[in-house]
Amino acid sequence: MISGNPGAGTKFFGSAAQTARLMLYGLLAVVLMAMDQRGHYVPRIRSMAEYLVEPVYHAMEWPVRATRNLFGQFQSRRSLRHENEDLRERLLAQQGALQRLDTVLEENRRLRALIEGAEGQTFEFQFAELVRVDLDPFSHKVMVDRGAEDGVEIGQAVIDGSGVMGQVEDVHPHFSEIRLISDPNHALPVQINRTGLRTVAFGTGETGVLLLPSVPRQADVREGDLVVTSGLGNRFPGGYPVAVVSSVDRGEGLTFVKVEATPLAALDRGREVLLIRSSDEPLPDGEMADEQAAEDGGETTAAQTDAPAAEQAPAAEDNADSGPEAATEDASTESTEDAGSGATAGDEP
Amino acid sequence: MISRRDRPGIIVVTLVAATILTLLYLPPWLDALRPYWVALVLIYWALETQDMISLGWAFIIGLLLDLLTGSLLGLHALSLVIIIYLVTHFRSRLRFFPPWQQALSLFALLLNDRIILLWIISLRGDPLPSLSFWLPPIVGTVLWPWLFLLLDRVRISSHHRGAS
Repeated sequence: MISGNPGAGTKFFGSAAQTARLMLYGLLAVVLMAMDQRGHYVPRIRSMAEYLVEPVYHAMEWPVRATRNLFGQFQSRRSLRHENEDLRERLLAQQGALQRLDTVLEENRRLRALIEGAEGQTFEFQFAELVRVDLDPFSHKVMVDRGAEDGVEIGQAVIDGSGVMGQVEDVHPHFSEIRLISDPNHALPVQINRTGLRTVAFGTGETGVLLLPSVPRQADVREGDLVVTSGLGNRFPGGYPVAVVSSVDRGEGLTFVKVEATPLAALDRGREVLLIRSSDEPLPDGEMADEQAAEDGGETTAAQTDAPAAEQAPAAEDNADSGPEAATEDASTESTEDAGSGATAGDEP
Repeated sequence: MISRRDRPGIIVVTLVAATILTLLYLPPWLDALRPYWVALVLIYWALETQDMISLGWAFIIGLLLDLLTGSLLGLHALSLVIIIYLVTHFRSRLRFFPPWQQALSLFALLLNDRIILLWIISLRGDPLPSLSFWLPPIVGTVLWPWLFLLLDRVRISSHHRGAS
């Protein structure tokens, strides 16, 4: 087969068949990738197939748990007492801070009642731990150890102790995958905390940098400004810290200021996270709009992502719960848009 | 020949080990250095056994890897199919290369794979990765001779166990 005349024919034939097979499998892989990217059929098959591979995560997670338990057993009484005291002090400090929050909350409720606004949404938090598994570095996903059986749903917002991390993208029975805000295809509706300016934060593919591409030139943005979620799009609850503005580039000839921000959450070294669930039903329209915002990428989408947010407001008005509240949201959005791009002028009535 | 006695069991065991090494949690700076373990192990078996590793198996293993690592479905499948095609095509030559030359051709293989990955990344419209993107092929090439010896040993010990 290796040498000699009679073998030559079969060898040639064999390599041609091999090439044909390469073409076939290559084509199949490319089609699969395209369908997975576009979201046709494949994601559904995929989430079913992931049931098959779930045991592997369990197997990977087990030794980590076991060693941690072992270390826990041998941790000395003294270090435990230290930790206990430390935690107690911290709890006291935070309770002190919370006492004031109670008053503010009550005041807020009274004021809302005064303007007949909607009751603010309440949120439930679910604790989860990151699974110590490294996924594809280009997928910008992490895995946590809570899944469908713990009531996790696709689209839930995920935060850690210091800021927003991402959102649940895929749910397995005992695990779920979280798309990080650093993903280049991820867009997050945010506002500058100091001025209330609304914009969208895009991931850049690097864990340390978020991009705010649609900030108008005359806007008041400074280094060190806190960026928080705006709550538009109804996926991320409003008011959670996201990032701190790290650089503002007002270069000549730019329509928008180039604003970069550093995420507050420990995207690449976190350990414990919280899954947020709003207690009342989110609006389906809002979710759709956010989905679209999350899928659009790049500079050109500034106008597109603003538009669905504005469109969603009338839908919110239909909802019995939120009348004037949604309307004021709407008005303020449009006013910032007015001041800003002017690209959405077509949407104005 | 020795290859007659190779059993699929040992191939599966080494592939599972490679998968675990792929998923193993590492600190971020080490993560950037992680070689393409599954490809390295598959290349070894494609070189050393006549036709245990077909393109179909490479495809299926690639799909499983895609599911496990949460990457685009078909990404690893495509890359492994291309690698295994090239290895089987040049198998008779690669096998009789001296180690350094073999490692060099392996580097070309892994580099080619990265270029294909880069092509897919740019097709998706994602920003181009940083320079550390090119480190895994280098690490893979450096590790290759040692991995080769290790797998040889594993394989031969499995023969003995099979015989007794």
